[in-house]
Amino acid sequence: MDTERTELEFAARLKSAIETPRAVDDHAVREAFTARLKRVAARPDVVPIEFDGRKIDARRGGTLLGAAMKNGIRLMHVCGARTLCGTCRVVVESGEDNLTPMRATEKFSLRWHLSMSPRTRLACQARVNGPVEAESVFPLCGDLPNR
Amino acid sequence: MTAVEVPRLSESDLIAGLKAGDEDAAHEFFDRYAARIRRFIAHSLGASAADADDVLQETFIALAEALPFFRGDSSLFTFACAIAHRKVLSLIRTNARRARLMRSAPIADQSISTDPRADREFNRALADLKPEHREVLLLKYVEEIGVTEIAQILRLGEHAVESRLARARKALRRSLKE
Repeated sequence: MDTERTELEFAARLKSAIETPRAVDDHAVREAFTARLKRVAARPDVVPIEFDGRKIDARRGGTLLGAAMKNGIRLMHVCGARTLCGTCRVVVESGEDNLTPMRATEKFSLRWHLSMSPRTRLACQARVNGPVEAESVFPLCGDLPNR
Repeated sequence: MTAVEVPRLSESDLIAGLKAGDEDAAHEFFDRYAARIRRFIAHSLGASAADADDVLQETFIALAEALPFFRGDSSLFTFACAIAHRKVLSLIRTNARRARLMRSAPIADQSISTDPRADREFNRALADLKPEHREVLLLKYVEEIGVTEIAQILRLGEHAVESRLARARKALRRSLKE
């Protein structure tokens, strides 16, 4: 009970010490935000990609692995898309600029699996922003029925 | 109490408007949250106001890019704070790297509050805290965000947030006693 009261007093003191937020009058930031938001909303949500020679639709911002699985391409991902196993490795034939940049965890995993090349990516990490052509490094697990 | 406008749209309508790129929704979002996000950035940064404004601008641009992927798992403010937190971390890292390169002390002007009504001693103690401690205290006690949402913002586990909070409170008390 005492701890609770102390915590409440602490919260009250902290609240009174910190100034109330002042309105941000920066119209440039406000307008830049609005313009960018409009531009982003105008982009198509679905991006055409080619995976192992098959043309499929991917959700913009979704991973290559997600797009493949959704379209019945059963790409291996033994670790459950946690960058550990490297079994979802793909070679990007074209459009590598349309994938999100590599993060440190992906780089580490590719280096660990001695598979570091400018065109190799982990499908569980690379997110799609535009048309891409990719091929899986490992054989697929088999056909999945479309869900 | 605050200079923030009275909300006109519900949070769900606001999210729908933002995803559709609606100008009014964008303005409403900015007017409703920009001040609180700026305060969060300024306190997390513990740096000069100019830096806070730059980070605010970067945060809003990143927010515009990220909003289409907002799944509604948390409140909009939590989502915005998570982005702001990463922008702040990035600036702190850049400043530390620059300071290392320049072989000088880190660039961190610890002046936070300009409000004359604020408790000066408390503010001094707050400014002496580590940025991560100040940030977690602000989120918990000023923004009144729950531990679960703070964990989402800081990308930590709930237990880690609780222990960070405990350490932050202890550090603040120690700093107040000095």
